[in-house]
Amino acid sequence: MRIEDVVCSFCGCLCDDLVVEVEGTRVINVENGCTLANEKFMGDHRLEAPIRRSGGKWEKVSYEEAIAETAGILLDADRPLLYGWSGTYGEAQTIGVHLAEVLGAVIDNTSTVCHGPSIMAIQEVGHPGCTLGQVKNRADVVVYWGANPVDAHPRHMSRYTTYCDGFFVKNAFRERKVVVVDVRETESSQVADEFVKVNPGGDYAVLSALRAIVRGKRDIIPPDVEGVSREQLFRVADMCIAAKFGAFFFGVGLTMAPGKNKNIRNAIELTEELNRHTKFTISPMRGHWNVYGSNEVFTWITGYPFAVDFARGIAFYNPGETTSVDILRRGECDACLVVASDPGAHFPRACAEHLARIPTVQIDPHVNVTTHLSRIQIPVAVAGIDAEGTAYRMDGVPIRTRKLFQGRYPDDLEVLEKIYAIVKEAKG
Amino acid sequence: MPLSIVYYAKEFFRGEWARKFLAAKTAPLVTPTYFRNYPELTGKTCTHHLFCMMACPAPGAIDVVRTPEGWMPRIHVGHCIRCGLCVEACPNGVLRSGRILESMFYDNTKLSFSFRIDVDTERCMGCGNCAVACPVNKLIDSQMSHGGRASTDDLLLKVNEGKCQVLHVEKCTGCKTCEHHCPNEAIHVARLLEAVHAPEDEL
Repeated sequence: MRIEDVVCSFCGCLCDDLVVEVEGTRVINVENGCTLANEKFMGDHRLEAPIRRSGGKWEKVSYEEAIAETAGILLDADRPLLYGWSGTYGEAQTIGVHLAEVLGAVIDNTSTVCHGPSIMAIQEVGHPGCTLGQVKNRADVVVYWGANPVDAHPRHMSRYTTYCDGFFVKNAFRERKVVVVDVRETESSQVADEFVKVNPGGDYAVLSALRAIVRGKRDIIPPDVEGVSREQLFRVADMCIAAKFGAFFFGVGLTMAPGKNKNIRNAIELTEELNRHTKFTISPMRGHWNVYGSNEVFTWITGYPFAVDFARGIAFYNPGETTSVDILRRGECDACLVVASDPGAHFPRACAEHLARIPTVQIDPHVNVTTHLSRIQIPVAVAGIDAEGTAYRMDGVPIRTRKLFQGRYPDDLEVLEKIYAIVKEAKG
Repeated sequence: MPLSIVYYAKEFFRGEWARKFLAAKTAPLVTPTYFRNYPELTGKTCTHHLFCMMACPAPGAIDVVRTPEGWMPRIHVGHCIRCGLCVEACPNGVLRSGRILESMFYDNTKLSFSFRIDVDTERCMGCGNCAVACPVNKLIDSQMSHGGRASTDDLLLKVNEGKCQVLHVEKCTGCKTCEHHCPNEAIHVARLLEAVHAPEDEL
């Protein structure tokens, strides 16, 4: 069976133009999708059934048993952490937040190690953003800062920015200028009109220099700013000022570089300065397909986008204190539920070691690094393949992923609802 | 010194020398028929295949520009080495130089271009930059250039199973847009230029 307009649930681009061929409960062909999408749909390495660690070995258990034991672990804990959520859909995330509230737990999503600083900067100075459709139809200057879309969001350039013909930009890459700013040459810098190589950790200074230039204070710029020549800074600033519509995209290379949220604040303020001359927007390159959704869901229920602590009975948010890495590093939490993410592969070693010490339960379709730190893993259906639900694209546009076939796995929502029901009953 | 002046005076005032100098009979300066000058326009319509540019071995010697009268090749004489390959490569006989066009007609020969596209699937990320930027794809299916959604298999390039796939290599015009915009250096276009003995009606 050939299914058109399938939504890819891999990265924040949420491409919704894939053509997928399905045979029974297997995907046999994917058209239009990038290599990452192809692997996501065609990959066939799912965990067969729930597993539990028992005496140094794994044993298969039933879903009911695994769910009951997970609920028991969470109920026994004094300070449980519910982490992940970016790889599942909004409906399941909602149950997660309710579960955290009933348990008095900390709930955090993967923004905590990627675009958390971006959100903190946006909380300080706002977000002059736009949808990717606006960029596609209008932008004649595109800046990628600390991001390598060719590797992380392969179709970003061909679907939304550089190569895509738009309503007002009929001749795509011939009319658009692309600037890539990074600490090293990347695949994306290969196709850029201007590559700005910044010294590691020098982003804040370069952003400040650009702000000064846009403000008309060229004479105060030193000949070299963190490895970038004054002439190149003038050239980039002039290119941005001369744009009819500019779009600024930044990645983890800027959010996690020294300066963190202050880098982003500076970038947003540069965008603001540029708006005195022309139209300019700024957007984060969100990684997980629904990480934006987890921020949305958390915010509309709790008021905070990530790192929400319910220990006081009300929602409390203090990045640096209630963020997962800090909680784990301090050895504070005594049970962890990981949903749709892989902290074992991405967290610092001390955090991974603590995850291995405490009872950790993972709800994920695949075996990953976190599996090796967990006590129980419950395999579920993959959203966008055998489960459906709502996700938010990196620009905040909600898109409903589709269920391509009826598989034999329960979905995230089903499993979480069962855990929630048990916890709710116990807590009264 | 006075001797040499006398010597020169004697030499130049000889009657024989003066006669030769004033009434010398040399061969007339006529351009021989086989002389190959810089290519010039024949007046035929340029179809913008750019084969002249592709065949030209001298950098910057020829380009094809759009004028109010249509596309037109432009020769830069400072760079042109008068090899005549552009004249032979042009499928429409837009250029002329010496007797190249005539001899091509009598000998029944022509220079023929064909193109081959190689995709290194190890390097290709399936980003679709090539397929979206491809000007041939843009003419076949405008949805393709508006974001990479392939709605027909008539395309030259499309992304299938996460890799760029060449569907109709015969449609390639050799512009190398795909090659220049591949971030992974995964796609390469080979321009094959061969001299062929063509049937008469093709000339």
